[in-house]
Amino acid sequence: MAFREVNSKMVEATVLPGQRLFSQRGAMLAYQGEVSFTPNLQGGQGGLMSMVGRRVTGEATPLMTVEGSGTVFFGHGGHHVHVIHLTGDTLYVEADRLLAFEGTLRQGTMFMGSQGGVMGLVRGQVTGQGLFTTTLQGQGSVAVMAHGGVFEIPITPQRPVHVDPQAYVAHHGEVRNKLSTAIGWREMVGRGSGEAFQLELSGSGTVYVQASEEKL
Amino acid sequence: MFRLQGSKVLAVDMTGDTVKAKNGSMVAYDGEMSFKKLSGGGEGLRGMVTRRLTGEQMAVMEVKGHGTCWFADRASEINLVGLQGDKLYVESSNLLATDAGLRTGTTFTGLRGASQGNGLFTTTVEGHGQAAIMSDGPAVALRVAPQYPLIVDPGAYIAHQGDVRQSFQSGVTFRTFLGEGGGEAFQIRFEGDGLVYVQPSERNTIAGDL
Repeated sequence: MAFREVNSKMVEATVLPGQRLFSQRGAMLAYQGEVSFTPNLQGGQGGLMSMVGRRVTGEATPLMTVEGSGTVFFGHGGHHVHVIHLTGDTLYVEADRLLAFEGTLRQGTMFMGSQGGVMGLVRGQVTGQGLFTTTLQGQGSVAVMAHGGVFEIPITPQRPVHVDPQAYVAHHGEVRNKLSTAIGWREMVGRGSGEAFQLELSGSGTVYVQASEEKL
Repeated sequence: MFRLQGSKVLAVDMTGDTVKAKNGSMVAYDGEMSFKKLSGGGEGLRGMVTRRLTGEQMAVMEVKGHGTCWFADRASEINLVGLQGDKLYVESSNLLATDAGLRTGTTFTGLRGASQGNGLFTTTVEGHGQAAIMSDGPAVALRVAPQYPLIVDPGAYIAHQGDVRQSFQSGVTFRTFLGEGGGEAFQIRFEGDGLVYVQPSERNTIAGDL
């Protein structure tokens, strides 16, 4: 368990020799001990191909590698920070929401268009999330950022959950997502309720939602 | 049923009833829901005319369905207010949601409204049920009793309920005109019996600049 929430907007991470952490560049607030921060040109793990992949897909955020021994405090922009523990499953999260994650997690990029066909493509465009998202897989913990705090909603096969695309933060588990629309004649005449597009998440897992419609 | 999940998220459990909420404030739902736009300020033709005249038009949507719906808006703190037949006066920008038992309307506030920078009209909510109001920072409910009038900064006022008379008072002296004002040139004075909700933050008002 590498991350500990100090307060709602700050996490403390313990760095031990031989273990690596990745964090968003510039997110370090303070540290104790002998810790080094090296900018990670590749923007994460994997080889050169992963780096090219991230650049091409726009899922590249400037990351740095944190190594050494000591404790480091992370926080960014006064956003709320939420720690998610992964036990072998995959977390899907937008790259710009990642504050820090353990080096034991495998980072990857996933093409969202592959879920839901054409609507998957539309989804990325409409929600402004783009067509790709970052995946983290393995054993370890992740600190994600959100505007106004995060709450979890469990997803079960009987109960699909619909989320406002702007309020969506991350999800994990066996979850299919698709964009559902509720566009009727009212939207056409400019009298929409402001809830024309929703992300429909079905399967079993957890979705993390923030208490705001603001993007980071 | 309205319940708070944390201080910034409102969860509403619905069984076929309707809830009115600020446009676009839904963050998630499960079950079956439908969203339809309404226009605030009251029902019917009279409501439409008052909206046009007063500018207190709140974009409201009607949410109907079975399941749980979560509402939040720009990470504002949410306060639940229970109404038993009394009237709640709230700025339309601070009203998040009202349940099926409540009616909304528009009333004239006079000079107070102008000093808050919110226009001359305000939204009223009446009936039996629950309303959710938003504030910048956790709000406090201050009691007004006949012996204890309450004076509030217009920028920090968010809502009030009960049998309360309000008047406007100014502390403008010659010092204000010399540019030596204390930043508290205008206040709202509440007298009577009721509750006033105040937020720990001030909106930009004319009074704050003086």
